[in-house]
Amino acid sequence: MVRLHHVTKSFKLDEKDTVVIDRISLEINESEIFGLVGGTGSGKSTILRLMTGFVEPDEGEIFLMGQKLDHESKYHLVKDTSMIFQGFHLLSNLNVIENVLLPGRLRSIKKAHNLTRARELLSFVGLEAFENARIRTLSGGQKQRVAIARSLMTQPRVIFCDEPTSALDEEMRGEILKLLRDINQTFGTTIVLVSHDIAVIKTLCHRVAVIEDGHIHQIFRLQPREMAPVSYEEAFYLD
Amino acid sequence: MIERFIDLWDKFGGELLKASLETLDMMSTALFMALLIGLTLGFVLFLSGSSGIRPSPLLYGILSGLINLIRSVPFILLIIVMIPFNRLLIGTGFGVDASKVPLSIIGIALYARFTEQSLLDVDKSIYETSYTLGASLWQYFRHFLLTEARSGLILSFTTTAISLLSYSTVMGVIGGGGLGYLAMSQGYQNFHYDLMWLIIIGLVVLVQLIQVSGNLLAKRFDRR
Repeated sequence: MVRLHHVTKSFKLDEKDTVVIDRISLEINESEIFGLVGGTGSGKSTILRLMTGFVEPDEGEIFLMGQKLDHESKYHLVKDTSMIFQGFHLLSNLNVIENVLLPGRLRSIKKAHNLTRARELLSFVGLEAFENARIRTLSGGQKQRVAIARSLMTQPRVIFCDEPTSALDEEMRGEILKLLRDINQTFGTTIVLVSHDIAVIKTLCHRVAVIEDGHIHQIFRLQPREMAPVSYEEAFYLD
Repeated sequence: MIERFIDLWDKFGGELLKASLETLDMMSTALFMALLIGLTLGFVLFLSGSSGIRPSPLLYGILSGLINLIRSVPFILLIIVMIPFNRLLIGTGFGVDASKVPLSIIGIALYARFTEQSLLDVDKSIYETSYTLGASLWQYFRHFLLTEARSGLILSFTTTAISLLSYSTVMGVIGGGGLGYLAMSQGYQNFHYDLMWLIIIGLVVLVQLIQVSGNLLAKRFDRR
């Protein structure tokens, strides 16, 4: 589904070319939940952006859904993918339903059909009662669920997630991870997840690549765990 | 007080009406051009700036330099040096129609800069969001940037309108007429100070109305 072949990427930092990703090769299978884990500055978010085509490699090739990702094809290929961000990236001047409707509007999908689907997805993420709510009134977990509903509007084959739970508390994190698992199991969507949180990776992913200094250190096969989010009281009591 | 006002109206009512229509004529053209061209130029500045998504130092340098030049020349001198240009463009260097040209030029420059600043205030991550949602450049502008910057753009347009009202008062230099010219020529220079004060009060009220309207509209569209 996603394949990187000897991909290298440099950025200008302090007026010096710094290699951030160094000849990485990687293959992610269809319907897999694949994790990218590593410390701050290891290059995992850059790898994610290379996969979406937002950033172009200096060397190497990237294939998305069997097609080569280049400067022309990326605008077409990206439409079959979605991305979920740590900071939610919702438009604050639109309410919940308007944010979810946005991908459909960009593709000129008929209004009635767009609205029906948006409501179905809001129900899927448990926010049907918040249709007309303003974004600023929502909690972090609710905002991320709106972002997830928005990401599902176009039935993406791949969802890229950049630290989707970093800004959330323990309970919210569990809900979002469960939602991502449900999406994978219900729709067969491939999910590529970047996180520095080992617990998140172990809970959700089928495989994980450990990134260090722009290289893949190792790829592990995992057995996703059952999710059992605990409250703070339970966590400290158990300790 | 009322009698003085009625007396003033009897003497200068016709001229007041004419001057008001001249001001309205100049302002509406200048504001239309500011919105159409100024907004577009502001967007181009934003795109081509160093932190823009299509950085172009040459294009940005030329546009920005031109806007700075227009804004730095004292307006009354700008009006005078543009007389030959007015003749070239509309066939005359004097009158209400000629006045619309320098007023539009300064309006475009002002609003272009305000637009750039409003767009720079929008969260930079919006571009990546628009890209991952499959938006084209035009859709990024229309559905993302304009949506998030709309309150700032409305308030900037309000400020531009008030500035243009102030600038319009000196258009009498090239026969542009308007309320400011009437206040100066008939009011001050012909010792009809009541008329001058009436126009001043009228302009103060007008500015308040414009500002309040702009604030209300910006608030209506601001859901942040």
